[in-house]
Amino acid sequence: MGQFGLGQAITRKEDARLITGRGRFTDDGPPPGCAHAVFLRSPHAHARIRSLDCTRALSMPGVLAILTGAELDAAGIGPLPCTTLYENRDGTPMAAPERPVLARERVRFVGDPVAAVIAETPHAARDAAETILVDYDPLAAIVDTGRALDPEAPQIWPEAPGNLALDWETGDAEAVDRRFAAAHRVLELTLVNNRIVVNPMETRACLAEYDPGTDRLTLTVGSQGVHGMQRILAEKVLRIPREKLRVVTRDVGGAFGMKIFVFPEYPVCLHAARILRRPVRWVAERTESFLADTHGRDHVTTVSIAVDADGRMTAIRASAIANLGAYLSQVGPFIPTECGAYMYTGVYRFEAAHYRVRCVFTNTAPVDAYRGAGRPEAAYAVERAVDFAARELGCDPIAFRRRNFVPPAAMPYRTALGYTYDSGDFPRLLDAALARADVAGFAGRRQAAAAAGRLLGLGVAYYIERCAGGSPEEARLELRPDGRLRLYIGTQNNGQGHETAYAQIVADRLGLPFADIEVVQGDTDLVASGRGTGGSRSIPIGGAAVLRAGERLVARARERAAEMLEAATTDIGFAEGSFFILGTDRRLSLVEVAAAAGGLEESDSFQPEAPTFPNGCHVCELSIDRATGVPRIERYTVVDDFGVVVNPALLAGQVHGGLAQGIGQALLERTVYDPESGQLLSGSLMDYVLPRADDLPAFDFDWVVIPCRTNPLGVKGAGEAGAIGAPPAVINAVVDALAGYGIHHVDMPATPHRLWRLLERVGALLA
Amino acid sequence: MRRRLRFVLGSEPRELGEVEPTLTVLEYLRRIEHRRGTKEGCAEGDCGACTVLVGRPVEGRMCYRAVNACILFLPMLDGCRLLTVEDLRAPDGSLHPVQRAMVEAHASQCGFCTPGFVMALYALYRERGVARETPIAEWLAGNLCRCTGYGPILEAAQRMHAVAQGADHLEAREAETVARLESWQDGETLAVGREGRMFFAPADIGSLARLLIEHPDATLIGGATDVGLWVTKQHRRPHPLIWTGRVAELTRVEDTGDGLSIGAAATYRDVLDRLAALYPDAGRVIRRIGSVQIRNLGTIGGNIANGSPIGDSPPLLIAAGARLRLRRGNRCREVPLESFFLDYGRQDRRPGEFVEAVVVSGPGPGTLFRAYKISKRFDQDISSVFAAFRIDLDGGRIASARLAYGGMAPVPKRAELAEAALVGRPWKRQTVEAAMAALERDFTPIDDWRASAGYRMTVARNLLMKCWLESSGEIRRRLDLAAEVADG
Ligand SMILES: Cc1cc2nc3c(=O)[nH]c(=O)nc-3n(C[C@H](O)[C@H](O)[C@H](O)COP(=O)(O)OP(=O)(O)OC[C@H]3O[C@@H](n4cnc5c(N)ncnc54)[C@H](O)[C@@H]3O)c2cc1C
Ligand code: FES
Ligand code: FES
Repeated sequence: MGQFGLGQAITRKEDARLITGRGRFTDDGPPPGCAHAVFLRSPHAHARIRSLDCTRALSMPGVLAILTGAELDAAGIGPLPCTTLYENRDGTPMAAPERPVLARERVRFVGDPVAAVIAETPHAARDAAETILVDYDPLAAIVDTGRALDPEAPQIWPEAPGNLALDWETGDAEAVDRRFAAAHRVLELTLVNNRIVVNPMETRACLAEYDPGTDRLTLTVGSQGVHGMQRILAEKVLRIPREKLRVVTRDVGGAFGMKIFVFPEYPVCLHAARILRRPVRWVAERTESFLADTHGRDHVTTVSIAVDADGRMTAIRASAIANLGAYLSQVGPFIPTECGAYMYTGVYRFEAAHYRVRCVFTNTAPVDAYRGAGRPEAAYAVERAVDFAARELGCDPIAFRRRNFVPPAAMPYRTALGYTYDSGDFPRLLDAALARADVAGFAGRRQAAAAAGRLLGLGVAYYIERCAGGSPEEARLELRPDGRLRLYIGTQNNGQGHETAYAQIVADRLGLPFADIEVVQGDTDLVASGRGTGGSRSIPIGGAAVLRAGERLVARARERAAEMLEAATTDIGFAEGSFFILGTDRRLSLVEVAAAAGGLEESDSFQPEAPTFPNGCHVCELSIDRATGVPRIERYTVVDDFGVVVNPALLAGQVHGGLAQGIGQALLERTVYDPESGQLLSGSLMDYVLPRADDLPAFDFDWVVIPCRTNPLGVKGAGEAGAIGAPPAVINAVVDALAGYGIHHVDMPATPHRLWRLLERVGALLA
Repeated sequence: MRRRLRFVLGSEPRELGEVEPTLTVLEYLRRIEHRRGTKEGCAEGDCGACTVLVGRPVEGRMCYRAVNACILFLPMLDGCRLLTVEDLRAPDGSLHPVQRAMVEAHASQCGFCTPGFVMALYALYRERGVARETPIAEWLAGNLCRCTGYGPILEAAQRMHAVAQGADHLEAREAETVARLESWQDGETLAVGREGRMFFAPADIGSLARLLIEHPDATLIGGATDVGLWVTKQHRRPHPLIWTGRVAELTRVEDTGDGLSIGAAATYRDVLDRLAALYPDAGRVIRRIGSVQIRNLGTIGGNIANGSPIGDSPPLLIAAGARLRLRRGNRCREVPLESFFLDYGRQDRRPGEFVEAVVVSGPGPGTLFRAYKISKRFDQDISSVFAAFRIDLDGGRIASARLAYGGMAPVPKRAELAEAALVGRPWKRQTVEAAMAALERDFTPIDDWRASAGYRMTVARNLLMKCWLESSGEIRRRLDLAAEVADG
């Protein structure tokens, strides 16, 4: 393994441009003559549109076009599809109301786009948008997840009586019932998984261009994979042949799941570019991004656990209400169902499990994937409920977990919800984490904190998640005669460092200089196919495809080398970038072979037979100021099992970033819609609290390599882990800190205000 | 009148005749200069993705400040040097120590926030001495990153000095820039604009006064941290604009013997240490206004003149007994600061008049001064309630009391009934409790999304008690000390 091979923490290829300001993000460099789109959005959470009058706006200076739902209909532009529809548990189809690109007749959340103004300058577009007259007849709105199903709640869709979009279940309800009936104790906890505004630092943006000569459209957009975007936009929305639309993604300033989707602004800009025959650009203002990006999470879940007389958990039952927002987003219903549902057994030996979710409509922004997508919701519910159960039973939560772990000897292990964990050593990671966190010294630290007026708590969470399932990925390698190698792949870097990681895999296996490897992503014209980035699939699946393509390339080159060296292929060895006749010093470098062949090209794909199951233990030590309620994370330790590690520095980056988001969710980030008016109150970075530099502790992170048995590289995927493990670890620590006061649960985010109120209620405030 | 705006971008001089007065530096960089390294993450001063450095010659050396390009109007660069992320690499293409430290620490992921962090760190790098006293996390409170969890960026900040070897390429050629910028200091009023929309930047107070009489409807700007948001968020395009930042008399902070005269255009940054020397608590709260970038731009004059009920410096200065000096033409008048605020959105400022300075005297031997900023988040947040108290004790009795609050009324306001409940009485718990009760009659706060009326009132009351609790120890110590000195 060379200096740039697998397992090395080498610095990133991407940095050369990103650190010097030469990154190229979607809005870096609109072409000359570009027109600007501005969207008029609903100021009401729920209203009927009586009329829409653009006459005045159309006559404003600089206005080129105004598009409304009517124009789009006339142009044959279809609704935004939801690609993951399910059946209800009774077998009937779910409610699937169409989501028009621009609202017609009704608006259903604050920020719902109603019209687009395209003008010479952003100012002109904005001024004109302000003169569009929309006569709204406001209706009562419902924003609260827990109340959406109430009979008296305002109704959003006629096709979804009671605001119920989908009633879905998995697992064996009967088997669970039996175990509950026989249980020694049943413990039940209801918890809120708070709504998150994704807030990548780069807001969404797009540039649409049209070439009348070829009748082709090009969309430059921050995505998580250009092919999915191309397919849906072309086939479902614009209804044009796929090859008539090229989608390009350049640098992406953070995505976290949210930039996978087709949003209304994209087809509108494309259509505008087509009719105006000019490039059209749109960039979301931060406020727009708050209002009109898809949000994440937003579940209210009741979890019950059956425990036998020996303190063994036998069955788990979870029942969730998941807020989907006002419309079905692209994969909205997938998140609370199939994406996370099968993880409701965690790392424990439950004999039976059942999960039911009722997905509801509300007058809020559509909800879809956010870092972890469904799995954090499951992990939070399981790890909070297990902790809660242990405490209610008077057990030590750590010992209780240990007793109920799936033991390493049981691997591969089939869970009660049907997944097969290929590998994992939960006790080993738990021990490693406890040792690093110096849990032995916790009691002393707690005493010292108490003397200083702070309540110290210890929270442990052992998460497991599922990555890299499903669809294949293809990689194409092009080794040119000059020795430079290009890798074409359909995943999409959003900051994870794919260029570096893939180049490392190639450098490692082909023995080529790291600097000579170029990774090409993000252009449907250059890359034949792809499933994009999401669910931490890029390294496990994309990386495996790269590996296989590399192996094919070597095999092909080996044949050429055999000819050139005049030896039998079977006598040709390959190491460190050179072929040689076994047992001799006659050698030829791969580059020489490629040069002689006038270049080599190979591709291969990888389709995983099974998903991977990264897992790990988080230990959070957190103190609460008894006078003010301010929580502070004193120590944070993580030990993960991601299988084989490609680049430790990239890995640590993924973990740290995930932790920051998980801690943000647990302590800071609170999305508030006014229950009466449905206005988004936390609609700016001033009002919505993203973690800042001094909100986060230093993280102590380590990993244990337990290779994945179903992946050729042995990797498991690491992109989401931090955001999955942190919320339960933090809240378990909060609850531990307050346990002496009879507090059993605290909902996220555990803000100082919420904690102060609790301290006050239980008489724990330091006066 | 000078009709051309002059500044240096990186190493190249720029002279512009036609300028949209509210064109932001960010738009200018991205759209006109095609310098697209500087990013827009919010256009309201919250995220720092747009951080750039603005430098001025001060006593023969360049003095740089990190600022938010998204709310800074281009003509405010007059006579300055603007540095962006594109300027940091050496001419031979090698990375700057700050950038190298970022790479080595793996401090960039998606890279969108990165140029802003690089520039915020570069400001720290240039301010070595000064900045050492500030914790790095506080220095970076104005920069958001959604990817890295900040640890690696903090590490880069630690590492960058170690990576450095001597002066960087920008420092090495600084004399040239200083000479050029000094040669541009002409004392002329800058007047640039476009299609009749004008931006004026007078260089002396007389010209400012005259301009304002000529254009009584002009919008004055200090740091434009409020007015910038009118443009980027409310999409207003006020004009003409008159910028006070070049008016030498207004940017000064002068010693008056028993206190300070703070020019209306002095920034928080300029004022911080001086005011903190008089009233340490003032330093503590000013350090929490906005972020480093905002404090480098925002002025005390702007914070007062905007008349906001939740601005932090008005209650702070009212409690300190500050007086406001207003000027129209050659005529000045001074009013107690509290009387400047007439009603919500209405101040005692006449057409053609401007705020010249705020004059504040220092504490006396028996002065107790406390200021509290209550916001949901420690850094970079607007106050729900702000309270500042100046209590002068005369041998255990309260000789005078000034209790000023923000966020409790439509204007920053003194709690007169509570003050009356204190004066003449001993500084004791009972007295304070009586004053707390009186606060209920002084104020009828409102509910809004920042805080409920009940919360505001409870906090207002409790802050007074907190002040008493904190003071009892301190005052005793101070009085004892005074007694010792008298005895000796
Ligand atoms: C991200 C961010 C964070 C902030 N945080 C805080 C905070 O924590 N606390 C706080 O109090 N404020 C905060 N602010 C608001 C703002 O920074 C302050 O009010 C600042 O002091 C305004 O000063 P300025 O010079 O930038 O004002 P400008 O925007 O230049 O002017 C503000 C107003 O004052 C008028 N004006 C300016 N100078 C004069 C003068 N000499 N005479 C008469 N009128 C004049 C202007 O016409 C305008 O109406 C924040 C703003 C931002 C963007
Ligand atoms: S763009 Fe966010 S602070 Fe300027
Ligand atoms: S690296 Fe992505 S926001 Fe900081």
